[in-house]
Amino acid sequence: MSPGMRLPRLFRTTPFRLTLLFLALFGAAASAFLAYIYVATAGEATRRTDQEITREMNSLVAAYERAGVDAVNQSLIERAASERPFLYLLMKSDGTRISGSIAESPLEDINAVPARASFSVTDFDVEGRPIKHPARGFQEHLRGGEILFVGADVSEDQAYVGKIVNALRGAGTLVVVLGLMGGVLVSRNVSRSMAGLTDVVTAVRNGDLGARAPVRGTRDEFDELAEGLNEMLDRLERSMAGHRHAGDAIAHDLRSPLTRLRARLEVAYLDVEAGKGDPEQALGQALEDTDGVLKTFGAVLAIARLQAAGSAPDQVLFDPAQLAADIAELYEPLCEDAGLDFQAEMAEGLQARGNQEFLAQALANLLDNAVKYTPSGGAIMLRVRRRSSGEIEFSITDTGPGVPEEDRPRVVERFVRLENSRSQPGAGLGLSLVGAVAEAHGGRLELAEGPGKVGEIGPGLRVALILPRAG
Amino acid sequence: MRILIVEDDLEAAEAMDRGLTEGGHACVRAADGEEGLKAARDGEFDVMIVDRMMPKMDGVTLVETIRREGDQTPVLFLSALGEINDRVTGLQAGGDDYLVKPYAFAELSARVQALSRRRETGSVQTLLRVGELEMDLIGRSVCRQGKEIDLQPREFQLLEFMMRHAGQSVTRTMLLEKVWEYHFDPQTNVIDVHVSRLRSKIDKGFDRAMLLTVRGAGYRLEP
Repeated sequence: MSPGMRLPRLFRTTPFRLTLLFLALFGAAASAFLAYIYVATAGEATRRTDQEITREMNSLVAAYERAGVDAVNQSLIERAASERPFLYLLMKSDGTRISGSIAESPLEDINAVPARASFSVTDFDVEGRPIKHPARGFQEHLRGGEILFVGADVSEDQAYVGKIVNALRGAGTLVVVLGLMGGVLVSRNVSRSMAGLTDVVTAVRNGDLGARAPVRGTRDEFDELAEGLNEMLDRLERSMAGHRHAGDAIAHDLRSPLTRLRARLEVAYLDVEAGKGDPEQALGQALEDTDGVLKTFGAVLAIARLQAAGSAPDQVLFDPAQLAADIAELYEPLCEDAGLDFQAEMAEGLQARGNQEFLAQALANLLDNAVKYTPSGGAIMLRVRRRSSGEIEFSITDTGPGVPEEDRPRVVERFVRLENSRSQPGAGLGLSLVGAVAEAHGGRLELAEGPGKVGEIGPGLRVALILPRAG
Repeated sequence: MRILIVEDDLEAAEAMDRGLTEGGHACVRAADGEEGLKAARDGEFDVMIVDRMMPKMDGVTLVETIRREGDQTPVLFLSALGEINDRVTGLQAGGDDYLVKPYAFAELSARVQALSRRRETGSVQTLLRVGELEMDLIGRSVCRQGKEIDLQPREFQLLEFMMRHAGQSVTRTMLLEKVWEYHFDPQTNVIDVHVSRLRSKIDKGFDRAMLLTVRGAGYRLEP
């Protein structure tokens, strides 16, 4: 089919087709109903007229039986003066008129039985113009051979039936017209709603991941669909950006340590060549440096993967206090050896959802940092509690130098190490990984001041890993 | 020990072969999964080292196949895939240990040793004895030269692992994985602190140290 021959777009939509189907079914039902009304009203009017004619005929026949033709004649004269006169014709057996209000029998064969007829009578309006009135009636043969015809003007009945037919016709038209209009309206509405979604799908297919479906705020199923689509695209976009970012980040993050390693090897090589250096020591150093690069690579990869995945894999419900207690058990001797007072405070009966391995690693990183930066004689506190919002909070507070407020957002970034921490080992990835773990659980990381400055100690750092309420 | 190395990276296989041969083991090498399966079916090995991703047949399929055929030889998976999921898949397929690339040879060697020992101690033991050390696994008690040593639960687990691998080097990563069941790499020497506490309990007051530090590898419990 060529495009020109196609139906307009609107008529091809599902809602419009459904409307047509609905209209056909509804039309059939309406037709049956209207047909019933027609039969019940118009048919009834005809039947009633026939009954009245029969009654009139019977009363005239009775008068004839009682008192003969003259009595019938008398009756006809009286009745012709009544308000709604019947039409009468009394004839001899050969059809010649004796008396009556019509000139001749409307029946062609005066002997026909049954002798019913529909005919018309001519009347004159006030201005003398002839008007034809529809009429119907029938004749009967009287005992003496005379023929009596009784009819009635049915123009009122017909007018009544006409009105009903008009009303039914109007009703039928209205059903079709309103149905079609409704169908067109619904289809256009649905089409417009669908068009927004279709446009977005087309745009995304063409590579524009930024396209979003309009949400009209009507809270209907189209809004729901649009919101769902938008959310899906958001996630897709984040994930794509994450992957792109991960590749860039890994390349960037590894270039500098590899460059450093290369420079060191080169220097060692020149030294050994010049007979100044010890080859064994140079190789040992190179191995150590390589391990360092691999460690960095592992951390960068873990962060990148978490960020790219968007959410941590294998999340299960678990007891956060148990997780923290296990990590505390691992780190407590280390703290003690470093001359730090270690305390743990766990709320009972909590539940959180997450990847326990990643969370354990995050807590381990935080404790690593706390131990590294807190001078001997200080204290470290690990706490697990539920916030009033229902969120689960793991917090680690130390009495180290802390992080100045203006630097706090920065230290979570990769490879950021504050000036006074450069003497400590590490690549500056610990907090970034913790941040990535928090984000991969739909949570966040909050940095705040510790217990405050007391003399030379403090003010300390309080890092909280917050997980959203489980379930 | 007879060791089968199934690894498509020939240089890595060569390095493993050399290191393990120097350590007194006999190695057979296979360069892909199918070759590895054939070698595993043909020969008797004490340990198999199987790379996960190989041409023709991947390591997981290879191990699943030999396990179905009733071969219970301990398997150490090598893999560049280090996610928890990958580890679980490998262990479910019938692997006994999982080492993520890149690894230090000392780590590989220690794990191969640990796997071979595992097979020897097939029956359930209730009493472990290493030299002067005795561990009652049911009574949860340890004594050296008959003198009871009081241990924390985790120290007990740590010592149990060391006793089961007495005479072998165990690495810090192995301890963290097998005793604490963590698979990450702490930046601080948490494991060293635990080991030194255990050492002070089992060696202090005795004339000979049993728990030794192996430079560049980890620790060893000497009978």
